[in-house]
Amino acid sequence: MLIWLRGLLTRRTGRLVASASGVAVAVALLAALGVFLASAMSTMTARSIQRVPVDWQVEVQPGADGAQVGQALRHDHGASAVREVDFGAVTGFESASGGQVLTTGPGQVVGLPPDYAAVFPGELRFLTGSSQGVLLAQQTAANLHAAPGDTVVLHRAGLPDATVRVDGIADLPQADSLFQRVGAPPGAQPQAPPDNVLLLGADQWNRLYREPVHRQFHVRLAHRLPADPAAAYEQVTGSARNLEARLAGAGLVGDNLGSALDAAREDALYAQVLFLFLGLPGAALAACLTAAIAGSGRARRRGEQALLRARGAAARDLVRLALAEALLVGVTGAPAGLGLAAIVGRIVFGPAGFGATLPTTVAWGAMAAGVGLLTAGATILLPAVRDARRVSVMEARRAVGTFRWPAWARYGLDAWLLAGSLVVFWATSREGYQLVLVPEGIPQISVNYWAFAGPALLWAGTGLLIWRLTCLLLGPGRPAVERLARPLASGLAGTVAATVARQRRTVGRTVAIAALALAFAVSTATFTATYRQQALVDAQLTNGADVTVSESPGAYAPPATEHRISAVPGVAAVEPLQHRFAYVGSDLQDLYGVRPGTVLNTTRLQDAYFSGGTARQVVDRLAHRPDAILVSQETVRDFQLHLGDTLRLRLQDGRTKRYRTVAFHYAGVVTEFPTAPRDSFLVANASYVAAQTGSDSVGTFLVTADGVAPHTLADRLRATLGPQARITDLDTTRGVIGSSLTAVDLGGLTTIELAFALALAVAATALPLILGFTERRRTFALARVLGARPRQLGAFVWTEILLVGLATAVLGALAGWGLSHMLVAILTGVFDPPPSGLAVPWGYLGADGALAVTGLLVAGAVTVWAARRPPLNVLRDL
Amino acid sequence: MNELVGCERAGRTYGRGRNAVVAVHGVDCAVTEGDRIAVTGPSGSGKTTLMHLLAGLDQPTSGHVRRRAVTVGIVFQGLSLLPPLNIVENVALPLLIAGCDEKEAGERALNALKTVDLADLAERLPEEVSGGQAQRAAVARVLAAAPRLIIADEPTGQLDSAQAAHVMDLLVELATGLRAGLVVATHDTSVADRLTSRWEMRDGTLRSRSC
Repeated sequence: MLIWLRGLLTRRTGRLVASASGVAVAVALLAALGVFLASAMSTMTARSIQRVPVDWQVEVQPGADGAQVGQALRHDHGASAVREVDFGAVTGFESASGGQVLTTGPGQVVGLPPDYAAVFPGELRFLTGSSQGVLLAQQTAANLHAAPGDTVVLHRAGLPDATVRVDGIADLPQADSLFQRVGAPPGAQPQAPPDNVLLLGADQWNRLYREPVHRQFHVRLAHRLPADPAAAYEQVTGSARNLEARLAGAGLVGDNLGSALDAAREDALYAQVLFLFLGLPGAALAACLTAAIAGSGRARRRGEQALLRARGAAARDLVRLALAEALLVGVTGAPAGLGLAAIVGRIVFGPAGFGATLPTTVAWGAMAAGVGLLTAGATILLPAVRDARRVSVMEARRAVGTFRWPAWARYGLDAWLLAGSLVVFWATSREGYQLVLVPEGIPQISVNYWAFAGPALLWAGTGLLIWRLTCLLLGPGRPAVERLARPLASGLAGTVAATVARQRRTVGRTVAIAALALAFAVSTATFTATYRQQALVDAQLTNGADVTVSESPGAYAPPATEHRISAVPGVAAVEPLQHRFAYVGSDLQDLYGVRPGTVLNTTRLQDAYFSGGTARQVVDRLAHRPDAILVSQETVRDFQLHLGDTLRLRLQDGRTKRYRTVAFHYAGVVTEFPTAPRDSFLVANASYVAAQTGSDSVGTFLVTADGVAPHTLADRLRATLGPQARITDLDTTRGVIGSSLTAVDLGGLTTIELAFALALAVAATALPLILGFTERRRTFALARVLGARPRQLGAFVWTEILLVGLATAVLGALAGWGLSHMLVAILTGVFDPPPSGLAVPWGYLGADGALAVTGLLVAGAVTVWAARRPPLNVLRDL
Repeated sequence: MNELVGCERAGRTYGRGRNAVVAVHGVDCAVTEGDRIAVTGPSGSGKTTLMHLLAGLDQPTSGHVRRRAVTVGIVFQGLSLLPPLNIVENVALPLLIAGCDEKEAGERALNALKTVDLADLAERLPEEVSGGQAQRAAVARVLAAAPRLIIADEPTGQLDSAQAAHVMDLLVELATGLRAGLVVATHDTSVADRLTSRWEMRDGTLRSRSC
């Protein structure tokens, strides 16, 4: 055994290293992706925790004893901090400024303990003045023109008026959750926060209000949660339900952390799905490459087996030797792969970003190493066992063999697999299909694993079909190959074609693996590029433009503000966008007033945002009719609208502040619009809206940069417009809006994928060819002895390389194109908004192609160089 | 008779320094048209190296090898057919390498196979024929090239006696028909006895010559 192993190490070093490298690539890909997946899920959970300022808002129910609820919470082991928050009502606030008395509508007065901001830092943002005492919300301060030191009158509901002195102005970034309706039934409309808010210290609040309108306990949990968002969600929501049960109706839990984790678990599931769709094919390809590398020496191994058997070795002995070789490859390849994964992880993510915890890293590493050992066993041991049991000594000596179509080809397995793939694809790309189903608020989550069959069948069917096509080209298509070889081989063209044709099994396998490696690179890169494209579109839709300037709701921003913005260096164009609210029946929707003449020039409206025409055609309808309005598809369906129908909306009049009915005419459907919400909204002519409401106030200005980085331009605009304006930029939005999936997973996942795809494409084209040529050293040496010159041997080599290169490029590109379409269609849930077409990363694909061609050229050059060796030396070595 | 190839104090050493192995040294010999020479000697005596020097496959590290510009046909020890080519393609290969027209090369190869009685196996792969048939195909390959000098290194080494006799008959007939010189390296005395001259190799030197 040791002699055999020593012989392998000294005489078959190249093949052993190549096989171990294939195992290493498979192990590295799995380990890198797996560890990163675990890390990303942990990050998702951590980010969900960070995003939530108050984990639980426990609302004391009417008639219940608040003190008891507080006591129960303080004894809850899961809670690390509990603070009481009381809410009181006012019918309005009043202030006197510049001889004018300013009043507001109804609002709320919130009583907070002194350390509230320290315990829940995300809930309050102090803008000016003191951070303690009486704090006026920013919008209320704007409405009342109040500043620190001013006096505000509180018209308390059911109580006499009270006066307070403002100590500071604060912003409430999480007002939606702070004023949420705890215990609202699932699917209920979210409750808008009050327009006017005053914050008081708990003592002062207690002096002003004896009884709260409602009382809450804000809770920060201990955050000892599982890394997996789904498990963390179950734990948090389970604890919340447990608490409600213990409170026996005295309190309801507003589970903010559970809601955040609820969203994250869908992202986590998509991350797992992406791992399966994008990662597993790569690992399987690496295993196939290892099999091809090991298989290219199969004739030699069979010959050696035959010699050993002729000298009395039993089948058991041959299996032991093969097992030793497989173990040698496995135990060298697996650690090398783990090392490679660690290096790739460090390079891509840095020391802090790779691997969530030691146990998950160890678990994924062990799993990947196990796969590596299995790969070595399957590619080296299994064929040897099969040969030892079934192949006779005479058969084993056969290096070429008569070509016969395998059973799968005779029964058309490739066609069946592709047909099955198309059926699954058709079923999964229908409307209403959801790959990942995460019902809101329900612990059970599900993945439609049936969808995985589509790409899996396509991969398998394509690989077999490529093999079949290559064999057909080299068999019945041999005359064409001869013509192709003629310029290189001249009189030897027929002989060259015959040589390649008789190697069609091996050449077919080389082309199949190389083409699949190329398809892997193409599909992964296209998917990634499409995802990035849609992420940018999403950011543009969310932010509206490179930079968006929004005036605070109560402030009047006249159209002239456009000129102030235009004057800022770095601004290429400014588009004012009116933002109002309008009632369609009883449904309150966002209404955007636009200038049809300029909106297309200064914003990136895509045709996909409209239906029934291009962006230009639909916007032109607004230009042609002042009272035209674009509505959502949902509105069309709900209200049974037809083009030209009159649509009466209720809008707030700018002068009287009362709602009045305004008539519009339905002119088209809009599905997406910058800054608009994802559900229903309306788009109309700004001039018509201003005329009908008596206010030309512009809520938002969409600013296009002239090449300056959006965040730089945003800084300049902040300096010019002051703190009243809310300014957001595309750079920041891309970081913020991206779900944890966008921000964490896909970037790392695709970086690993693309790097491995490149390596696989190069290795899959060059390695099998080099090893195949190495196995034919004897043939080349004999030809040299018969008088062949190196140039004539080169004709054999370059013809085969040309064939493999052309077939790989054509078939691989086609397969990649098909896989890209299928991946994007099946994983459509990852994209928001769905793409109208694929983004092709030509740069990456060009680099990939160049590297593959380089690999082919290197393989050819190495073989031709090796063929120059004196033939007697070669024959003597063999 | 015209000399086809000759050695003058020819030697061949493999390796250098302490690892140097002298395979052949100080050999003086000549092969002329019509010669039928058996090169005999035990394993490792330098027979194959001498054959390689005579065939021009190897160069002497000392001394000199004289050579006339004639076609040399070589029959190797063991299987020398190219595995991916069928029998007729193998036979035609040297002709194609030499620049012969494909059609003509094919015809000549087929004729050569008919001569060695292998025409019906022309389309088979080397691995699909017996050792004797493969060696006859190798002879046909030499025949097709019509050489003036035939060098055969242990052409019957892996054949049984009947097949060996057949192959030797073919080689001698071929050489006679082409009026070529024939040199056969063998350790089989029955093979050597069929040829007119015998060169005895011992420890890399040509010890004796007999006719």
